[in-house]
Amino acid sequence: MNQTIIEPRKHKLTLNLGELYRYRELLWTLTYRDYRVKYAQTFLGFAWAIINPLFTLVILSFVFGTVANVDTGSVPHLLYTNAGLCGWAYFQAVMSTAGTSIIGAQGMVKKIYFPRLIIPLSKAITALIDLGIVFIIMAVLMVYYQFTPPTSLVYLPFFILMALVSGLAGGIWISALTIRYRDFQHIVPLLLRVGMYATPIAFPASLVPEKYLFLYYMNPVAGVVEGVRWCIVGGTSPHPYAYISFVVVAVMFVLGLFYFKKIERVMADIL
Amino acid sequence: MSEAAIQVEGVSKVFQLGVVGSYDLRSTLVNSFHRITGSLSRTNGHHEQEFWALKDVSFSVDHGQVIGIIGRNGAGKSTLLKVLSHITEPTSGRVTINGRVASLLEVGTGFHPELTGKENIYLNGSILGMSRKEIRKKFDEIVAFSGVEKFLSTPVKRYSSGMYVRLAFAVAAHLEPEILVIDEVLAVGDAEFQQKCLGKMKDVSGQGRTVLFVSHQMNAVRELCEKTILLHQGQVKEYGNTIDVIKRYLNKEGNLLSEWVNEGEDDSLDNPFFRPTRFAIVDTSLAPLEREISNDERVGIIIEGTVEKADSSLTLGFAVYTLEGQLLYWSLQADQEKEKWPAVNLGENKYLCWLPTNFLNEGGYRIEMILSLHYKEWLSRPEVNAPVLQFSIRGGLSSSPYWMLARPGLLGPILPFEKI
Repeated sequence: MNQTIIEPRKHKLTLNLGELYRYRELLWTLTYRDYRVKYAQTFLGFAWAIINPLFTLVILSFVFGTVANVDTGSVPHLLYTNAGLCGWAYFQAVMSTAGTSIIGAQGMVKKIYFPRLIIPLSKAITALIDLGIVFIIMAVLMVYYQFTPPTSLVYLPFFILMALVSGLAGGIWISALTIRYRDFQHIVPLLLRVGMYATPIAFPASLVPEKYLFLYYMNPVAGVVEGVRWCIVGGTSPHPYAYISFVVVAVMFVLGLFYFKKIERVMADIL
Repeated sequence: MSEAAIQVEGVSKVFQLGVVGSYDLRSTLVNSFHRITGSLSRTNGHHEQEFWALKDVSFSVDHGQVIGIIGRNGAGKSTLLKVLSHITEPTSGRVTINGRVASLLEVGTGFHPELTGKENIYLNGSILGMSRKEIRKKFDEIVAFSGVEKFLSTPVKRYSSGMYVRLAFAVAAHLEPEILVIDEVLAVGDAEFQQKCLGKMKDVSGQGRTVLFVSHQMNAVRELCEKTILLHQGQVKEYGNTIDVIKRYLNKEGNLLSEWVNEGEDDSLDNPFFRPTRFAIVDTSLAPLEREISNDERVGIIIEGTVEKADSSLTLGFAVYTLEGQLLYWSLQADQEKEKWPAVNLGENKYLCWLPTNFLNEGGYRIEMILSLHYKEWLSRPEVNAPVLQFSIRGGLSSSPYWMLARPGLLGPILPFEKI
């Protein structure tokens, strides 16, 4: 027989991951719902999932490759930019959807119990679809340019994992913070816009002056984006400083989980 | 099983009024700045705005019991359910629940308008805690109960509100937890569907499951629950046999205004033809009502007044309104043939008129005095200067097993049917 004890958890701070696992079916259901809803009732339906990243790719490549003429070595600029977009697109999708996810689900939060972490988590999984599409575009470009991926490709899973963790870290923080401070609804799009240029998506990090590099890699996604691109198109391996951003990401992720848990207790009261 | 299904020990819940919800970045930054510089000595202002939604609530429920929870709005019913459902955390105290719980604070939680009926069954089911396997097993039953077979692949945003609610309740009704916590979900749908829901709930409680049921519908509580908890200002005021608790609850609360006495503050009522002195709604012993009444109880209206100058065109009576202000009917002493009119004498006059029983529906009603010289002059005109009484009806709608809830419509007469 299940026993549930409900009492104030003032000083206990546990993540209770076992409970999260028990609710995994809900996680899949919510993920499926988000995915269905996103493209339901649109004329082009799923095609939008391809059109959007394609547009970003073309514009970035035009600005940095054709207009600014950034040197990407032997790699075609379109290919280079798309490799950069792989890490970024995922991070951006998770940040923007997970951030507002709890507020968007407040009807549920106020009426039923389940581990709240499921909500931003389901957004992170839904966003994997976007990531998959960027990879498909990648594959098409590789065939077109007859580009052979380098041996560093074997490290790709690690960097994808880092992309996942960084996206989640940001998403969990923002979703918890937005509940308390609605200001973050406005801050996030701003940060993402800045981040788009502050991250080496369409240009190599080597263009950044050496004295700013440390600061540059404080950007949690800089290392991820560099790393993913290095795996796909090769070139110089990420700067040692890139590992700073991995540490930043890992620390933010763990702190985010605990902050989220702390807010979870009062979520239904302050929403 | 000797242990209780639900054991609630000293549970309290405090809300910080004004502070809750006013979290914005600026005030947090300003506050933490003040705290660092020490210029804000965390004034008592916070504590003055505390609101105890629940205060030291303790009770226990045995396995298989069906318990009603009643009380006025704001008595803490919803907060208690939210604590029991794990949605909000108590400020102090402890709740121990033995068994798998499902709570139903609303029907259709998580329904998405863009998704089809079928998809929403799965979505809502898993939000309520069913596994996909369970849902698949019960799918046909759920669909049959809801009666929306034909629209399963239609997005629910195209559903009528009735269909929507039926589908939502159907999913919830097929939950099979050991302990079920329900909030007023019956107040939805049309009368026919409400009956179906109540029937389903009776089945559920008949299967030996523990149910906590919050409702304003005294008839439903009376029908379903053996024991009832009365909450008042966040505290358990009574916990006992349903019939007794409901009776005491109805006697004490409710918005009653059963007697008006002319104290001369409104001189528009002064006239020589009939100056009203008292207006009252009374029970069978002619004492002013001090409680809500059930629909099968006899109550009367008393009109008293002084006559200095007789006028044969004098009409007196009352108008009955719903509390929402809809006029239901007028009743005058001159409604019958002239021979049956009560006499109007010089000096004191006192009239009594019995209201029909089993006529109005559940709810609150307003009664205003009518006095006029027929087609000549208003003496006491409803909604202008008339004295006002108020009373309310709860329960006693009929002894039929089919009507446990308020009946649809403004009235609830019981008319005999015969076979011809």
